[in-house]
Amino acid sequence: MKMFSVSHKTVFVVDHCPYMAESSRQQVECDVLTKSRAQGVIPLAPVSKSLWTCAVECSMEYCRILYDVYPLHKLINYIVSDSEFHILNSWRHEDQSTHELMSALAAVGPPNPREDPECCSILHGLVAAVESLCKITELQHERRTSLMDTAERVANRGRIICLTNTKSDTHVRMLEDCIQETILEQNKLAAGSDRLMAIQQCDLVLVHIHPQGEDTLVSDRPKKEISPLLTSEVHSVRAGRHLSTKLNILVQQHFDLASTTITNIPMKPTLNVCDQEEQHANTSANYDVELLHHRDAHLEFFKSGDLHMAGSSTRENGLKETITLKWCTPRTNSIELHYCTGAYRISPTDVNSRPSSCLTNFLLNGRSVLLEQPRKSGSKVISHMLSSHGGEIFLHVLNSNRSTLEDPPSISEGCGGRVTDYRITDFGEFMRENRLTPVSESSHDPSGKLPVERAKAQLERHTRYWPMIISQTTIFNMQAVVPLANLIVKETLSEEDLLTCQKTVYNLVDMERKNDPLPISTVGSRGKGPKRDEQYRIMWNELETLVKTHAGATNRHQQVLDCIVACRSKPPEEEERKKRGRKREEREDKTEKNGTKETDDKSWQESERLKGLLDKEEQEPEVIKDSPDSPEPANKKPRLCTEEVQPAERAKGPVSLLTMWSNRITVANSRKHQEFVGRVSSVNNKFELYQQLKDENGMDVHENGKASR
Amino acid sequence: MPTVILIDVSLSMTRPVSLDGSEEFQRKNLAVHGLNMLFEHMASNYRLEFTSLMAFSSLWELLVPFTRDYNALQEALGNLEDYDKTCVESALNGVSNVVQQEWGSACPCQVVLVTDGSLGIGKGSLRQSLQSLKHRGDDKKFPLPFPFPTKLFIMSVANAEELQMTDSMDNLEELLRLSGGDGQIFTVEGPLCMKSVQAMFGRLIDHAYSPFHAVLHCGNLSSDVQVFPRPEPIVMDEEVEPMPRSVNIDLEIVGFIEIADISSPPVISRHLVLPINVNKEVDEVGTGTTDELEEEPSASQMAGKSPNFCVLLHGSLKVEGMVALVQLGPEWYGMLYSQADSKKKSNLMMSLFEPGPEPLPWLGKITHLGPISEAAENPYGEDDSKSPFPLQPPVKRSYAQNVTVWIKASGLQTDVQKILRNARKLPDKTQTFYKELNRLRKAALAFGFWELLKGVADLLERECTLLPDSAHPDAAFQLSHAAQQLKLASTGDSQYAAFDHNIAPMHTDFSS
Repeated sequence: MKMFSVSHKTVFVVDHCPYMAESSRQQVECDVLTKSRAQGVIPLAPVSKSLWTCAVECSMEYCRILYDVYPLHKLINYIVSDSEFHILNSWRHEDQSTHELMSALAAVGPPNPREDPECCSILHGLVAAVESLCKITELQHERRTSLMDTAERVANRGRIICLTNTKSDTHVRMLEDCIQETILEQNKLAAGSDRLMAIQQCDLVLVHIHPQGEDTLVSDRPKKEISPLLTSEVHSVRAGRHLSTKLNILVQQHFDLASTTITNIPMKPTLNVCDQEEQHANTSANYDVELLHHRDAHLEFFKSGDLHMAGSSTRENGLKETITLKWCTPRTNSIELHYCTGAYRISPTDVNSRPSSCLTNFLLNGRSVLLEQPRKSGSKVISHMLSSHGGEIFLHVLNSNRSTLEDPPSISEGCGGRVTDYRITDFGEFMRENRLTPVSESSHDPSGKLPVERAKAQLERHTRYWPMIISQTTIFNMQAVVPLANLIVKETLSEEDLLTCQKTVYNLVDMERKNDPLPISTVGSRGKGPKRDEQYRIMWNELETLVKTHAGATNRHQQVLDCIVACRSKPPEEEERKKRGRKREEREDKTEKNGTKETDDKSWQESERLKGLLDKEEQEPEVIKDSPDSPEPANKKPRLCTEEVQPAERAKGPVSLLTMWSNRITVANSRKHQEFVGRVSSVNNKFELYQQLKDENGMDVHENGKASR
Repeated sequence: MPTVILIDVSLSMTRPVSLDGSEEFQRKNLAVHGLNMLFEHMASNYRLEFTSLMAFSSLWELLVPFTRDYNALQEALGNLEDYDKTCVESALNGVSNVVQQEWGSACPCQVVLVTDGSLGIGKGSLRQSLQSLKHRGDDKKFPLPFPFPTKLFIMSVANAEELQMTDSMDNLEELLRLSGGDGQIFTVEGPLCMKSVQAMFGRLIDHAYSPFHAVLHCGNLSSDVQVFPRPEPIVMDEEVEPMPRSVNIDLEIVGFIEIADISSPPVISRHLVLPINVNKEVDEVGTGTTDELEEEPSASQMAGKSPNFCVLLHGSLKVEGMVALVQLGPEWYGMLYSQADSKKKSNLMMSLFEPGPEPLPWLGKITHLGPISEAAENPYGEDDSKSPFPLQPPVKRSYAQNVTVWIKASGLQTDVQKILRNARKLPDKTQTFYKELNRLRKAALAFGFWELLKGVADLLERECTLLPDSAHPDAAFQLSHAAQQLKLASTGDSQYAAFDHNIAPMHTDFSS
């Protein structure tokens, strides 16, 4: 259905002339006496509805169904006509509810039978209806504004449903002519106004209501074109049941609705949420409930011509069809994601009947029901699901055909499928932190960004440094780093956050001094993996990488980085030497073993991986350099060199204020120029020349890799 | 989107093609050559497509049912035999049957009709079929449009000039129009030869069978992916927005939602999201030569070993039971989730929502979904016991309110009986009695049904007289008070008949 089809705007014009106060002559017995009390009591005389009451309650039923199925963008304007017209609501969204209309109708009251019939006419209302159709709706206005230069694409069409009692076919023609003339007049007016739109198409549906047992003087007439702007159809109906059936059919035609009957609904005590006092509550029969919804929910049946196979049946009046679907147990659970090709709001045809309200209450309590399509073959095909979402019930259409995506290659066969140590749990945690929540439209963010943009910005911040596999990271495997890692991704840090971060860093320094083991991945290396001090170097490097990506955000973020740079310990010269000595031994050891097991490509793979790991680590500062958001890496080259030889003071554990300050100055200065390699890596201002000669035999594979850069 | 290849094997397809070279070709050979090229392309770049091969003349035959085995398709092409005359209509009937049997009537399908443009003569010819279109009964309807959405590609092994010499072109255009207009007629450009036919099939491949490559982003994490089947551009409302919308090649994750919260949303299509190694794809663009086959395993092995974001995302979505909300374009969203098939193989799947700012009413406007970190307190609760979804609509639907409908007499009787039942249990049921009474009063006023108000007032007065001696004195007071109020309302007097006015219980407890 087009957004601005005829059904965007519907005007009800209901006759309020004295004649409508006549009785419909359909009597309702409202005093149903129970047997035990029947003796000696004279039952109350039955009441009968007036033509007006019939018209009003049937039109309200039309509105009820419409508002249930289309809560938005299908609008109703209700007009009552007697000696003048009374417009009961407007096109505005807040006026679109049955409660509003009922309240306005109560104020109008039933027609006054003593009013002079000569001054009363339905024409007043019809003219007002045409004027109303010219008035722009919120949606039309919004679309016209947003389309700007193609605003003419927004059409103005509408429908007038007139419930009246006319005199004759000639009278009907007179009404049609009058509407046609009014449209032309109003279109002229509309051309010169911003708040009015010319009518491009108007469908008139005239329903002539007459009391039971009276012959009608007006004949039915199918839709015919009066002019390119106006079509008209006439329905002549008896008041009461016939009128309500007619309007029920009309609402289905006008809004592309179809009917589904849910059958075999079990009457179980759990379902029995209806009035406990109902006398026949202990019947255990299965019952049926008819629902209306958009007809696309039956698309599959229409197309495949399965309509009759699917248990459709024609109703007594020969006009209305319904498709039967069977209630299906077991029920479905909410954590299953069904392949659903459509979901359509429903409205029960008989809303306050006991079976209907039992079904709707059951669904509103949050349960879903699968529905089965009866097939001749007896095979069971689940084709639909009823489910409520936030107090609205939807009929979901489930795909029951073969899928074209069956038997796809498993994800483990594709790119990245062989990697086994993904941080699945960590990413799960990440997803929980990045869940979405509705933000009210009124809460305006100072940045002017929409909530969804802020959600994306958060994802960006949280993924600046996010290694995908466990063996690629140390810090994210350490409980001790968690507080800092959680805080540093925040847009702003409070003073308290900053303290927590700093505490985390001090805690790490402490761990290092106590020589606590680190959860460094040993997947890539045989034996114990890298030595403890090497582990800490890797850990500090990684932490620095993480924090650097956020350092540009605020001053406090920068302070966290400063703290890390200041606190991370560098091994003193002696230790370094010792380490190198150890490494030499280790290397010899390794080559020996490799010699014996040269064919063992697993170990080769492992060392390759470790190499890759370290290479990757080296690349990271470069990656960050490319990002305009983060500052130039403070002293990338120097840092890599200083691991070899370090000023002695720094190794002494806790840092003095002077060191911190001078460090900061050094960092600041180093940003301004490229520091001499010798000066940066000097020890007590002395730099050992020709180190590479000395190292030639003393470095393992990784270090070589680094030195060559 | 499955493909049906429908190849014309009538005698006219055996017409020789005059070539400068030594060898002589039939048109059929050219068609087979073109189709082989298409199959080779699909085998390497579009291999998840289900394709079937049908041959037709005056009869039709399903040579290969829907399969992903492109060798089988190529083999069948090699064994084509020649038959009598062309009859397009019966062949299309065949397509309709074959497709519906396999995929039902909702699955979009591509039909590639390969013919030489001589569309038969006399009865059963396309010309005759089209001419008789309007004089047919319901039982002999023309097969187009198919019940399922169709893209019809007509590959004519003839150039446009040749088709225009007869009415063939007009007839083919009419055929395309009847099928719904989605598709294209391809003709050979220049003289008929291997090369020009190859070029024509090349255009079909570019148009309909080029893989859709995109980049999936989640903040700074990303992965190159192929989306299969290709997401097709769609038109939502041709009047307001006639330009079709297409899926962006950058798919941006917006955030995550629990499966229970998204709760089986309606989608317009589903697609596999397959991580790809871009470098490898570049190699593959050149039509699959044999040398590559040897290199491929090592290349794919390498790709298998380097971590890929899709695999990580899939793993976590599966474990957590969540979906990722992904932006596909302006005001267009979809969801990524883990989908497992019967064989326990699971995959990253993307479903597209209907374009628009609010595809799922229970999520509200997507642009108004923000990060939970902004909320004052976690809307999911500290232990994930709560959820901010589903959103409640501002107005309740009729079935969620206690609406009054008296269209059927039983509705009215039930409401009156409810009042009477409570009336007999006064003063215990005072609250319920007045609640039901006021509901009836409101409806009667709105429907202008004053007669009912009088009737119920009479009933209450009668109840009052029938009260047993043992009844609480309050019961009588309340009944006559209620009856009197209803009578006043039935006069329409604005003081008593106001819709928003409620009849309050009579104040009988004077002790306080």
